[in-house]
Amino acid sequence: MAVLEVKNLTKKFGAFTAVNNISFDLREGEILGFLGPNGAGKTTTIQMLLGITTPTSGTIHYFEKDFFKHSQYCLSRLNFTSAFNNLQGRNSVWENLQVFANLYNVENYIPKIKKLINRFEMEDFIYKSYFDLSTGQKTRANFIKALINDPKIILMDEPTASLDPDIADKTLTFIEELRKERPITILYTSHNMSEVTRICDRVIFMDKGLIVAHDTPLGLTKRIQIAQLRLTFNDKKDVIIKYLENEHLDHRFDGAHVVYITTEEKTLPKIIFDLSKEGIWMTDIEVKKPTLEHVFLQIARGEKYVFQ
Amino acid sequence: MFLHEIFITKHSFEIFNDIILFPLFTVIVFGYMALYLTGSTGKIIADQVLAGMILWQVINVAQYSVGVGCLWDVWSRNLTNIFISPISIKEYLFFFAISGTIKGLIVLMLTSIFSLIIFQLNIFSVGFLNMFFIFINLVIFGFSFGVVMLGLIFRFGTKVAAFAWGLINIFQPLMAVIYPVAILPQPFRSIAYLLAPTHVFEAMRKSLSGQVITLDIWRAVILNVIFLICAVIFFRFMFSKSRETGQFARLEG
Repeated sequence: MAVLEVKNLTKKFGAFTAVNNISFDLREGEILGFLGPNGAGKTTTIQMLLGITTPTSGTIHYFEKDFFKHSQYCLSRLNFTSAFNNLQGRNSVWENLQVFANLYNVENYIPKIKKLINRFEMEDFIYKSYFDLSTGQKTRANFIKALINDPKIILMDEPTASLDPDIADKTLTFIEELRKERPITILYTSHNMSEVTRICDRVIFMDKGLIVAHDTPLGLTKRIQIAQLRLTFNDKKDVIIKYLENEHLDHRFDGAHVVYITTEEKTLPKIIFDLSKEGIWMTDIEVKKPTLEHVFLQIARGEKYVFQ
Repeated sequence: MFLHEIFITKHSFEIFNDIILFPLFTVIVFGYMALYLTGSTGKIIADQVLAGMILWQVINVAQYSVGVGCLWDVWSRNLTNIFISPISIKEYLFFFAISGTIKGLIVLMLTSIFSLIIFQLNIFSVGFLNMFFIFINLVIFGFSFGVVMLGLIFRFGTKVAAFAWGLINIFQPLMAVIYPVAILPQPFRSIAYLLAPTHVFEAMRKSLSGQVITLDIWRAVILNVIFLICAVIFFRFMFSKSRETGQFARLEG
């Protein structure tokens, strides 16, 4: 079942079209990655999904209800966390969470807040003012706030931005564990491709306001048929050069004993076999396959492939 | 939202300063000025000046509660979190109306007690019912003015944030807070009478002189109802424009 359905969503700011007629859905229990270079229209889309920016045209339905006609119904069932938003800085974490529990009409919220605080190991910081927390502690406080109403959907806008790798990893682990506990649906924007590959079931790529790709992370990487072969050899560089030129293979040497060959993935075994037959002694072979980052760079830069 | 307000107030000396200390010191300064005037103009005029300043604090605090109340969340980058919760605009504005009324009442009570103890002015000598109508009118005007400021902040961002605590003072001379409207030049009098507080301050002065104030209060009520409706329509328009232009989302950025 689609818990979020977006149809023909467009946002224009004067002559500039930030989001151009996009449609997608979000199914119950899935994590959808929302990717794209800066200015792609991701944030504007999120803002429209939260109701803080009105679309020029198009519809947004949460739980099969029109968001703009039933905004309070929808908002009570979703929540949001972002690296770019804070809670009230002067209030303590405990006070902030009480405020949001009240705003979301959460019944019997004290034990619930305590449970979430324990879950996020925030016991030592609950009476500190929000502004006095470290970035990692703020992120955890934001997560608790985002879970206070048991949301069916959470929109996460770069939640791990500006976190150190350890805290970012803990955050992702938390999302993975949360997902095991209950069927939570997440729309996740990030610039970190490894994060997206790790936790997202599907990925939407946006560029210049349009959805330019929509697939699973694996499906997207398979769109790039190119791979890169890194060979370390002992000698006979001239033989290798002659072979690569005869075969018209894209290549680059790195010093006297390393060559990078960029070509279609399916031809790699043949290259290794041919060079071996030529008497080349290969001491190291490394195959670099395309990642989501390469897909991102390919879309962002408009290049055929982007191995360096 | 009430918890939110209580917690922010608890942690912010600025709020204590703006709604308690500053009004008290203003009233004390004007109280001593009134004492000085007593010698040359008589106690009635001096009392009218002091009472005017006490009531002015009510407007000021009521309007301040709306604009600055919202700005605390803008400055903290918490406004999006508030607006994506299931709170409606009506509830949001209603909260500010109640908050402004409570703060206005606190300011009125504190400054009245001070003026009674130090300057022997019992502002409630106008009668409790009269004071009730005077207070409600001032709060409604202050709230409506605050709602207009809030609309401007949503529409134009924090570059107009200073309006939240400063713009009301531009209207103070027109409202004849501490002097009769008759003092104003003729063209300004017509404008002054379009503002509900002008009639309230005139009513207060009449009441302290023992005159009937029913007509002035009714005029103020009618003008306030019109202003309140216009303020809410203006706010809704500005809020809608703010979401349409993306300014709302940029408020925190």
